[in-house]
Amino acid sequence: MSVAREQLRRIAIAGDGPLGVLAAIALKRALPTTDIVIIGTPPDPAALAERSATALPFTSRLHDKLGVPEEELVKRCGASHRLVTRYLGWGGAEHEGLASYGAEIDPKLNTGFARHWGVGPRNASAATPPGSLAEVLAAAGRYAPPQPDGSLTLPGVEAALRWNIPAYRDLLVGKAQQLGLRHVSGAIAAVEPDGSGGAASVSVAGGLRIPADLFIDCSGPGAAMLSQLPGFRSTDYSARLPATAIVETRPRAPMLALEDRIVLAAAGWRWDLAGRDGAMAWLGIAAGVDPEKAAAGLGLEPVSMVRVTPGRAAEPWLGNVVALGDAAARLEPLGGFALDLSHRQLDLLLDVLPGRPLSPLERAEFNRRAGLMADRAGDVLGAHYAAPMARAAFGERALSDELALTLDQHVRRGRVPFFEETPLLTRETGSLLDALGFAVGEGALARAEGADDGEARAGAFAARARAALGAVPPYREWMERLVRG
Amino acid sequence: MPLNRPNPVRVVVLGGGTAGWMSAAALAKLLPGVAEVELVESEDIGIVGVGEATLPHIRGFVERLGIDEASFMKATHATFKLGIDFRDFGHVGERYVHPFGSFGEEVAGVQFHHYWLELERQGLAEPIGHYSLAVAAALANRFRPPTDDTALSSTYGYAYQFDATLFGPFMREHGLTLGVTRTEGRVVEVRRDPESGDVTALVLADGRIVAGDLFIDCSGFRSLLLGDALGEPWEDWQHWLPCDRAAAMPCTHVSQEIDPFTRATAMPGGWRWRIPLQHRIGNGYVFSSQFLSEDEACAAIRGAAEGEVLADPRVLRFRAGRRRQSWNRNVLAVGLASGFLEPLESTSIYLAQMAITYLIELFPLGGAIDPRDRDEFNRLVDMEYDRVRDFLILHFHATRRDDSEFWNHVRTMQVPDTLADKLELWRETGRIEKYSDGLFYDASWIAVYIGQGFLPRRHDARAALPDPRQVRRALDRLEEEIRREVAAMPGHRDYLVAESERLAPAP
Repeated sequence: MSVAREQLRRIAIAGDGPLGVLAAIALKRALPTTDIVIIGTPPDPAALAERSATALPFTSRLHDKLGVPEEELVKRCGASHRLVTRYLGWGGAEHEGLASYGAEIDPKLNTGFARHWGVGPRNASAATPPGSLAEVLAAAGRYAPPQPDGSLTLPGVEAALRWNIPAYRDLLVGKAQQLGLRHVSGAIAAVEPDGSGGAASVSVAGGLRIPADLFIDCSGPGAAMLSQLPGFRSTDYSARLPATAIVETRPRAPMLALEDRIVLAAAGWRWDLAGRDGAMAWLGIAAGVDPEKAAAGLGLEPVSMVRVTPGRAAEPWLGNVVALGDAAARLEPLGGFALDLSHRQLDLLLDVLPGRPLSPLERAEFNRRAGLMADRAGDVLGAHYAAPMARAAFGERALSDELALTLDQHVRRGRVPFFEETPLLTRETGSLLDALGFAVGEGALARAEGADDGEARAGAFAARARAALGAVPPYREWMERLVRG
Repeated sequence: MPLNRPNPVRVVVLGGGTAGWMSAAALAKLLPGVAEVELVESEDIGIVGVGEATLPHIRGFVERLGIDEASFMKATHATFKLGIDFRDFGHVGERYVHPFGSFGEEVAGVQFHHYWLELERQGLAEPIGHYSLAVAAALANRFRPPTDDTALSSTYGYAYQFDATLFGPFMREHGLTLGVTRTEGRVVEVRRDPESGDVTALVLADGRIVAGDLFIDCSGFRSLLLGDALGEPWEDWQHWLPCDRAAAMPCTHVSQEIDPFTRATAMPGGWRWRIPLQHRIGNGYVFSSQFLSEDEACAAIRGAAEGEVLADPRVLRFRAGRRRQSWNRNVLAVGLASGFLEPLESTSIYLAQMAITYLIELFPLGGAIDPRDRDEFNRLVDMEYDRVRDFLILHFHATRRDDSEFWNHVRTMQVPDTLADKLELWRETGRIEKYSDGLFYDASWIAVYIGQGFLPRRHDARAALPDPRQVRRALDRLEEEIRREVAAMPGHRDYLVAESERLAPAP
């Protein structure tokens, strides 16, 4: 007879940045009888993921599940939607391309044929969602989120949010307070071992000692708790990813747009995010280039700078300490992939949320999946640095086997192999690679006579695009209506 | 349309059974102008006709080949299938259905089965199958295709149970209309390029030579090209899946109803299938010759058949395992020539379809085979085989049966590490190792674990948070909803009769 495990009595979370607070909210909602303590450790100056004011569409689903609806983010945190990212200069000086989200992107891409044709889960239906419209909508400046009542649906289109980081944190803190979460401030002074690879308690500067059943380390790349444990080991990504200097610049005039841009030049990349509370720009500067000068040359005012030492914790969950965010994996903020990874790892923790006693098997399953998640997120960033012009700017990097296979299959065959825990759908990966200048190849299906007749597909696509344009209001109009509310 | 299309690749398919004609028809349909398909078969060689029961994936195959479902069902005497009814696997007298569908719903981020386990502990749970529409419909002998919305009526899939000896010929007819060249003849020699080692041509008994660029070995267990000619090593899995024979025997229906499911009943030396088709029932005893003689198995299947016996038992011989690589040089194998896993979960036709699908994705362009594509094909095929293998072993290993040598062996044997890890995780935490590729997901593992009485020691702490009586009331509502849904479905036979274009004339 199976018995439910005992509830955790107390969970202590190190770090009160947005991720720490979001994790606290999530855990309190999942375990209402558990005492949750947030330890406000000093912000880590080397923080990476949380410098990104955006993630991927997954984050909206997670937020929704945790009682942080998109509408609230729009109303209170200056949030707005991104449908596409325009990449300029990655494939060549004049090259540009659009990467979008959603199952349906470019009707020419035949990636994922296998999954659409009866290979895959036994319990799934054979139906496939056709058609993609993000680019069409972005170009027309039209978008509104699909309505749960079915009055507006946009199958195959997904959007990511960007927001004002301080306002976002304030919103989360307010929710944490409503849930009655306890908060203490102070750096982690010591981690008292529990004799079985984990922590019995943590001491906060000033003398407070906090025992807990489970500790969550959201303290940033320094991993203030995890790194203190005897089993801590780091997996280095520096052969695969450069030690880019990330420069955050002062926000400029507000800007409403459905498109963001990532431009590559000789000195590095520039990532521009639209924003209702100010347009934001980050720079990724290659080694040997002076970041200050590079920013000044672009007319941007730097406010902070950090150099990435890419890598991840070999095992982000040791004993009873689970690291999330930068404490688990150090990836640069470009594109929001690092923050997406943080959020997916949080979601994974909720999935395998332990009780007492903790099970080493659950821990192993978490570490297996969290490791794959970080490796695949690293591959998405690695694809950026493998782009023709990025190799010139940042130097040649090694490719993981999975990334090498993906690039090869995409370029030769227009096919994206599936790997477990990949942050993007196969079509999203194809779209991104195309935008980065890896021209999509043609597989056998595309070359077959009359198969997947291009004209018929294009016609059907155009019809869907017309219908969507007719159904969706101009984005500004929707936004004004909501904000006036 | 590409202007400079290279010459079509000359594909030679060897073998006119199910896998052969599925391969030939799919390539001809989906790669016109890219592949030119010739199939060599010999009327002297019988076909195994593997797999009378299928998985839902076959619907996508049939549809994409432009085949009308009704005419396909009529030609193969097909019935609908909602899952498999397993009897006596966990213990003699126990029974569960592994459905094409799931159980209940996730609540507050916790999977349904954790709540079920908690209720079970408190003595408040009905069997978990009560919370699955597919299971309830199957056991009520009812059928209707699922809806494509998000309602309860969309929470299942379906497949077919058909006469496999008719499926090959049906695909042949279809393949011929798609332009496959059929060549009758027996292969007496396989010619190879002395330098590259590639196969260049097949020499037939009457002296004709069939040349090609790419050879698909669908010669069944003989594996004439991949196994014999290229000597691709065999990875034997018999120590994990000891069944190596099947005694098959058809009989008549005994009742008016047609079960919309396949039945698998554990037997002292293996297990037996019961697959209802339109006009007969297929029976077969899959057994291990280590533990049971062919005569004993034939006698047992005769004794077990419910209806009038339509033919003497026919014994098939096989071996669990697969070729180390399914694609070597310019020869790849589809179906039994590539590997074999016993039919317990009706995976044979799926495995052939899977290989064909990956072949189309990785089809050599212009005839030159890129080793990277071949490696990718082998990686994918291995992953699929290995995952199906582990899931099959589970059915034998997760048992309390100790009533025969066979069951003592499979219960106590060492299982693959990949499976041992999954079992351990389930036993300690009630969790399923997560993957998104391959065939059997959470719902399938849960069906077998719980159905065979292999309960974990512990489940999720969150399942104990809500008041169990409230959970029970919610489950009662779900059960009631399922009951209403099932009551509104027509009987399986009635549904078939009402759509008579699906019915073959009675024999």
